[in-house]
Amino acid sequence: MIKHHPSEELLNEYVEASLPVSMSAAVAMHIEMCGECAAKVATLTDQKAEACFEGIHSKFTEHDDIADVVDFNFDNMINAITVNDAIDEVKSTPKTTINIKGKSVVLPRAISNMPTSSWSNIGKLSRSRIELDEGKVRASLLNIEPGGSVPEHTHKGFELTLLLSGSFKDDMGEYVAGDFIVLDGEHTHQPVSDDGCLCFTVSDDAQHFTQGINKLLNPIAQFLY
Amino acid sequence: MQLMSNSSNNLKGSSDRVVTSNLSKTQTQSIPRKMNNKTDLAQLTLWLEQIAKDRNKQAFTEVFKFFAPKITNICSHKFNNPQLAGEVLQETMTNVWRKAHLFHSDKGAPTTWVYSIMRNVSFDILRKIKSKKEDNLSDDIWPLIDSDNSSEEGYDDHLENQHLMAHIDKLPEAQQQVIRGVYFMEMSQEQLSKQLNIPLGTIKSRLRLGLAKLKQHMGADHD
Repeated sequence: MIKHHPSEELLNEYVEASLPVSMSAAVAMHIEMCGECAAKVATLTDQKAEACFEGIHSKFTEHDDIADVVDFNFDNMINAITVNDAIDEVKSTPKTTINIKGKSVVLPRAISNMPTSSWSNIGKLSRSRIELDEGKVRASLLNIEPGGSVPEHTHKGFELTLLLSGSFKDDMGEYVAGDFIVLDGEHTHQPVSDDGCLCFTVSDDAQHFTQGINKLLNPIAQFLY
Repeated sequence: MQLMSNSSNNLKGSSDRVVTSNLSKTQTQSIPRKMNNKTDLAQLTLWLEQIAKDRNKQAFTEVFKFFAPKITNICSHKFNNPQLAGEVLQETMTNVWRKAHLFHSDKGAPTTWVYSIMRNVSFDILRKIKSKKEDNLSDDIWPLIDSDNSSEEGYDDHLENQHLMAHIDKLPEAQQQVIRGVYFMEMSQEQLSKQLNIPLGTIKSRLRLGLAKLKQHMGADHD
């Protein structure tokens, strides 16, 4: 069962589209797997729509007021739009399948049209960057082969892990597909995956390895970021 | 960006709005003005259905009059750029005109549907400006149509195809004509309407009837 969910604040920002693209995509993938959060998002969207179109702001939206702010000719716009009778047919989005270490995985819709880099590998870890050009905020697909683990590390910024398939565990417990795990600088953890897993990760700074000899691994931090 | 909300104080709800879903439902329903809104919603739904069925320009004008000033207002404040606000308005209302047939009142309020379109349009336009990306990701991240629609995929299987053809032959001629035109000659419903000189609304209803019958026949076969 999914135990880790986005905060109410994150869901709200998702509905408003005010998050980085990679975080919005993560929430979208989570609600595809989590009925509970999907229902919350539906309610939040209703509330947002109500506030926009039926709420107190409506009283500022008489035609007269608008004319002062913006000079649009609504009649021209209506004519320009309706001159063409064509309708938009539903395009069924073709599914994107990726192949990683002999596994074939269908990507969730939210990220199916995002460009990805080729895979790079260190040991049992493989990473493919999702190229969204969002500055410091970077998103990746991270695959861990059975028995693989990420050395104990902490985070300078935040790290989001959305488990897409498989499972992993750390000292805080076991995670299943759909779990939405946000960690920041206060946490250290050492994820281990007995059976392998595929994750979508977002972070805004390199990780920092904390334990003894693993400090030598700090180049991996750059790999994972 | 605050990622962890550890207390409810972080919620951004305005003072008169309680964000916790259960509470807000009972609260808003007890407010009398909701009655008026309900009437509005029914009327808006009706207009959207008229746009979808008959390409009704009068209905679109009414829908436009309801939403356009509000969208202009919201976007003018949000972007502080009249030109951008105009672009979002035009694009949003164009989508309403072209996608009205995808609105289903049983899946949500018309205001929620238009809000979703406006949000998606704004997102794509802003991303184009900020990141110079024209990837139009919004419909993937905030799908407008329930994904269960995607299960109605075309028949690739040859045998299934023949099976289907046999059933189409049993339909009334008028329905056959429309189904063959749309699914086998890949004509748009508009093209078909022109070619057969039949109103678009009739094409649509024949298509719907024909498909419903087909489904019935095929279902009966599988039992």
